[in-house]
Amino acid sequence: MMRTAAHRALSLLAIVAAVTAVVASCRPHETAAPAGGTAATASVAPAGGELHIYIWSAYLPDPVVEEFRRRTGIEVTVDVYDSNEALLAKLQSGVADYDLVVPSDYMLRILGHEGLLQPLDKTRIATLGNLDPRFLDKDFDRGNRYSVPYLWGTTGLGYDKKKLGAVDSWTALFDARHKGRILMLDDVREVFGVALRTMGRSINERDPKVLAQAAELLKKQKALVATYDSGDFANVLAAGDVDVAHGYNGQLAAVVAADPQRLAYVVPKEGGTIWMDSTAIPTKAHNVDNALRFISYVQEPEVNAKIVDGVHYASANVPARKLISRAILNDKAIYPDDATIAHCELLEDLGDATTVLDRLWTEVKSQ
Amino acid sequence: MSRAARLQRTLVAAHAWAVYLFLYAPILVLVLYSFNRSPRSAVWTGFTLDWYRRLIANRALLRAVENSLIVALATTAITTVAGTLVALALARFRFRGKGATQAALYLPVIVPEVVIGAALVTFFGVAHLRLSLATVIIAHVAFCLSYVALVVRARLAGFDRALEEAAADLGAGAGEVFRRVTLPLIAPGILAGALLVFTVSLDDYVVTSFVAGVGSTTLPLQIYSMLKVGVTPEVNAVSTLLLLLTVVLIAVAQRLQRPPSTLEESR
Repeated sequence: MMRTAAHRALSLLAIVAAVTAVVASCRPHETAAPAGGTAATASVAPAGGELHIYIWSAYLPDPVVEEFRRRTGIEVTVDVYDSNEALLAKLQSGVADYDLVVPSDYMLRILGHEGLLQPLDKTRIATLGNLDPRFLDKDFDRGNRYSVPYLWGTTGLGYDKKKLGAVDSWTALFDARHKGRILMLDDVREVFGVALRTMGRSINERDPKVLAQAAELLKKQKALVATYDSGDFANVLAAGDVDVAHGYNGQLAAVVAADPQRLAYVVPKEGGTIWMDSTAIPTKAHNVDNALRFISYVQEPEVNAKIVDGVHYASANVPARKLISRAILNDKAIYPDDATIAHCELLEDLGDATTVLDRLWTEVKSQ
Repeated sequence: MSRAARLQRTLVAAHAWAVYLFLYAPILVLVLYSFNRSPRSAVWTGFTLDWYRRLIANRALLRAVENSLIVALATTAITTVAGTLVALALARFRFRGKGATQAALYLPVIVPEVVIGAALVTFFGVAHLRLSLATVIIAHVAFCLSYVALVVRARLAGFDRALEEAAADLGAGAGEVFRRVTLPLIAPGILAGALLVFTVSLDDYVVTSFVAGVGSTTLPLQIYSMLKVGVTPEVNAVSTLLLLLTVVLIAVAQRLQRPPSTLEESR
């Protein structure tokens, strides 16, 4: 009896340990996992040193990391986050050892203000000249003191061609004929952006009176909206649960590519939001040299083209365009034409108007 | 009368089936779609094992699974021992601060996870502990310890101390009494606590998202972060495998707990 009692817990632990071992052995050439879970992170540093990357999921193809490792001998660790806010929380803790992060535009501004990023030594980034000047020197980081553009995209409409015909305007989201078949992002800036754009205003409007008018428009629209969803919007559209979805181009482009007969993506003629994610180095990074090498590496045309082909988002790299696959380069959902880009705006910091906007958004949502 | 009884039985059975369906239908769909050829989980287009093949090649996902298992395993090992000791101390002894200890045990269960996560990351910052797999384990131990202690404590509440006294009367030393009488009797409680902790630790997202550092992305973190580009059936595949592991664990646990007859005999 005594033996069985002791064995119960032990045999369970043994099973789990065995599974862990199997999983560990499945993993192709990787540094040995810390045994027993006490996790001494201080492992022996490889010849080229280390680089700890903290990035969005599915934003950096494995072969690209692998080649960097082969070329430089640098041991690369890639961890992933699911929101800009998670990144902010990590860097604010002061005990996260990341050397390279990829925040979005508005978060880059916040991180810069908080002193969480360090100015880049541009002389170390040989490939900087490959970047399209249209994506440099933006409001969120003047003179690109802290950041180099990595990938970018737009916010627009995904829709069912068979049900709606051709759509080119945000007004489709306010059309009573589509009642209950409309999906909006659950994002204050993006949703107000739609309303402001249909009113012919800027996405970065700060006038409380205009914002209140936009809120009225959105309150009226709410009766038509099936759901506000920022996570699963593309799948909801693909499943046919809505006919028109407000969303980010990446996920919508993927479902459109899977069913081009039925679905389409468009940046409406009134213009939409453009977003940019940029590589940057945290103030407390330990491996600044390696991070700079990596920032330069991902802007090499061949490498950059591999990234774009792998993740299906547009980059700001000019010479890479010759090497990116035709299907992606010609996909208007990924690479919109110049006129469309010129129409789009980056989200700017609204200062005091942010409070007003948050209050109005709560009113809309709680109505 | 018998008709009424039959009707009642039918109704109860129907109700039971409805409950089981409600609980397990989503899981079945998840398992089913891990074999779906379409990369979008919306429509069924045919059977394939491709996602399992891709899973084996997906380093990031496998690494996340490995991290999750290491953390869950370490957390379970530490909290099972420590939690059982806490429960024994509370059940057996009177000491200063006993009330406070008991109250403190409930705190991690009641306090919202966001608060625990934020508190822990601040604490690690003050203590200058670099975020890593170790901090994840420390955090999990902190909020899982209570589960074991509370479950074992409940088991001890119905414990007949006369059994221990009888063993001592018959010449067993303190250590022997513990090993041969106390431990076997509270083992189901310990096992239940351990299983609970293992599952809680395995799928924790909120606290982990605060305290994970370099190289310590766990499976829940990995899956949530994949939402930005849409969840692929690879996630369904890995979930199915973990589900299988859980089912095996529970089956083993139940088998080990079953024979009360041996308990009767060995007494």
